[in-house]
Amino acid sequence: MDTLVEFQHITKRFPGIIANNDISLSIKKGEILAILGENGAGKSTLMSMLFGMQTPDEGDILIRGKKEYISSPLVANDLNIGMVHQHFMLVENQSITENIIMGIEPRKRYLGLFPYVDVQSSNEKVRQLSKHYQLEVNPEDSIEDLPVSTRQRVEILKMLYRNAEILIFDEPTAVLTPQEIESLLGIIKNLRESGKTIILITHKLDEIKKIADRCAILCKGKMVGVYDAATTSTQEMSALMVGRDVSLTLSSTEHTQGVEVLRVEELSVETNDHIRKVDKVSFSLHEGEVLAIAGVSGNGQVEIADAIAGLLPVKEGTIFLQGQDISGSTVRERIESGVAYIPEDRHSMGLILDFPLRENLCLKQYYQEPYSNSRGVLQEQEMDSLATELISSFDIRTGSGATTLARSMSGGNQQKAIIAREINLQANLLMFVQPTRGLDVGAIETIHKKIDELRAQGKAILLISLELDEIMELADTILVLYNGKVQTIKEASAMTKLEVGEYMMGVHVEKA
Amino acid sequence: MLKKPNLVKRLFMFCCGPGKHQLLRVSLFCIFLSLLAGIVLLLLLGKNPFEAYRSILQGAGILPKTRYAGRKSQLTDFMSLLNYTTPMIFAALSVAVALKCGIFNICVSGIMVFSGFIATVLVGYSSLSPLIAKPLVILIGVVAGGLIGVLIGYLRHRFNMNEVVVAIMLNYIISYVVSFFIQTRFVDPITRQSVEVGQNARLTLFDYPIMNLKMEINLVFPLALLTVFLIRYFINRTRFGFELKAVGLNSKASNYAGINVGKTMVTTMLISGALAGLAGVTYYLGSNASIQPRVLPSLGFDSIAVALLGNTTAIGSFFASLLVMAFDSGTTYMSSRMQVLREIAALITSILLLFSAIGIFFRALANRYAREAEEV
Repeated sequence: MDTLVEFQHITKRFPGIIANNDISLSIKKGEILAILGENGAGKSTLMSMLFGMQTPDEGDILIRGKKEYISSPLVANDLNIGMVHQHFMLVENQSITENIIMGIEPRKRYLGLFPYVDVQSSNEKVRQLSKHYQLEVNPEDSIEDLPVSTRQRVEILKMLYRNAEILIFDEPTAVLTPQEIESLLGIIKNLRESGKTIILITHKLDEIKKIADRCAILCKGKMVGVYDAATTSTQEMSALMVGRDVSLTLSSTEHTQGVEVLRVEELSVETNDHIRKVDKVSFSLHEGEVLAIAGVSGNGQVEIADAIAGLLPVKEGTIFLQGQDISGSTVRERIESGVAYIPEDRHSMGLILDFPLRENLCLKQYYQEPYSNSRGVLQEQEMDSLATELISSFDIRTGSGATTLARSMSGGNQQKAIIAREINLQANLLMFVQPTRGLDVGAIETIHKKIDELRAQGKAILLISLELDEIMELADTILVLYNGKVQTIKEASAMTKLEVGEYMMGVHVEKA
Repeated sequence: MLKKPNLVKRLFMFCCGPGKHQLLRVSLFCIFLSLLAGIVLLLLLGKNPFEAYRSILQGAGILPKTRYAGRKSQLTDFMSLLNYTTPMIFAALSVAVALKCGIFNICVSGIMVFSGFIATVLVGYSSLSPLIAKPLVILIGVVAGGLIGVLIGYLRHRFNMNEVVVAIMLNYIISYVVSFFIQTRFVDPITRQSVEVGQNARLTLFDYPIMNLKMEINLVFPLALLTVFLIRYFINRTRFGFELKAVGLNSKASNYAGINVGKTMVTTMLISGALAGLAGVTYYLGSNASIQPRVLPSLGFDSIAVALLGNTTAIGSFFASLLVMAFDSGTTYMSSRMQVLREIAALITSILLLFSAIGIFFRALANRYAREAEEV
């Protein structure tokens, strides 16, 4: 088989991190190559460079043996490269054909004069294409009436219509049900039969076992190696993916479990569009304990935190905070009874970016004495003194002190501001969701120390993170979530990083 | 690639760029541009633009005219400016308060007609003594306007209905329902408008003799002035003002912080509606005395541009109202003195309103240039 695509010593840096570090990889014509790695391992970055959405800082990409500079997706298109994104790029209220021909519409002229788009012949062309590749769709249906799996087919057809030879799938099964996954895997196999080259970005090991020929594993931006999918076991793959190095767990003090602070019983949560994200999850959390919820992104972790904070309604089950049922309380009641929450999205949820830092630091206390008096008038001096105190004790660096707009602060300082505000609530339960995402090493260390300090003070801490290293370093108890269900819940010392990684991938479920 | 910005760009940055008093500078820049556009227009008509602007100010009672009719003076002109400005102040405040909470209230016109009509029917035709009737009219304005405001806020919060669509529909519903009642019950056969309200209920005293002059005295103007400061205090200093602004800037974060977003929105619309209601009664039972069926007052729509020109602050809305209404009332005198068509004269006010509405664009543009300059 000939080599179709070759990455040569690709390096890509983003501020603060190296996303891809000297990666070399060659992809053969007509194979299914899976690219496996944890969140943030650099899979998507690598493929976005092939598709022209990013350009490498160092190294070359060779297509069909020729060095190419892929500066935009249009260039990639000309090189017969197509990509199905995780989030579909479709126009809802247009027909399938209209979506497929968008940008390369066949034009005709009425009476040789008035130009129009020839949808009719395109419909026919799409119909033939869908028959040829066994991707049944009705070209005249409009996108908004279609289920997710059909939309995905439309995306695939879109690539095929543009004569793509190299098809990149970015986590294609993340949005599908098990049956739909089966049929998609069938489609992908078919595409290979008809001579296409397929790159599959995924972190689901069983899918790789089922269809991939080879599997390239990335870990922390580096290429671990390319393995034969048939002869490598899923356990081996997940071990390679998580990285063999045993992290130095520096959990300082032996934790003495205090009173139970939080008890979650049979909690089920649905999103606003009625998708069940959390399914009958139970756990309890004690004073001086760090409970970490591990899992691949989108497996329901954030929804658990949102439900505890009162941002998402509890569908079934109960949440007890220090013995009190808070499942029906308002957000403010929960804050007052001792729930502090450092949310995942610091920009759209944690802060009001166009408010000054002072207002942001007072965001959960502004209505209480002494920040407001009994007649509902804000006491600015009190707010000022709180802000100054928090700025100095948490070392928040700003341009102009308490009056700096939150928007103009750096990510690390914004996060420090949120943490300062939440810790200042003196809550017994603190929920940290992805507290160090996107931060530099120094800020990460500060935040980890803070979490350890809070634990020593006897606070109950719920840590939700996608970084296994972070979880292994900080947690006393680890709960692994997979598809919204509790996979396992164990003492951190009783599990290796490898095991946690396997649970996260759902490996143990397969065995059972 | 270091490129020095050209002179025009630098001048623009000086006017609108980020820094101290940016909001104020952008507003002044908008006013300046509209005056410039007005000059071009007047030059094209072959008129002396400066003379024209002077006569606008004279008409508004800001500069003295050369001669006055009997029992009139600069003071009477100025008092009549204040009379016409009063409803605009309330209307602009109504828009500004709602915008601060992220709600675009374009129902001011409809609310004005509604509250004006209710007050006209309930008090305008009664024979209550002025001391009871006038406060009652104000109270009815507040209550009727507040009701419509709450309705919009509730629909937005409870059913997530876009307030703009709701407001547009309400505008027409109110306008047609009210005109139905006017034409079947309260129509004046000569003017084809509603029957004029009695002097006992009117909030403006016309031809009131003071110092041998015939004055127009708007009794509600002091209330409008007071309201400006109240709203300013309310938004900047109170707990509810904090919540209102927080919801307007980021409702998701506000919900996370424990603020009751729905309650805040409904309360904001109560206030905004009440202010629009006040605008309605001062308009229909003050500077005017009857309601024209099937016509939505353009003042209600102009108030959006006025509030934007005032940067959606209370004080800003006040000064913007004064400026726009000075133009509005001055152009009548200008058109007769300069022999310019009334329509052309009105165009000058319209240009001002147009430029006031695009201040946000200038600000965004200047901020973008500033970022580009930083990156280079």
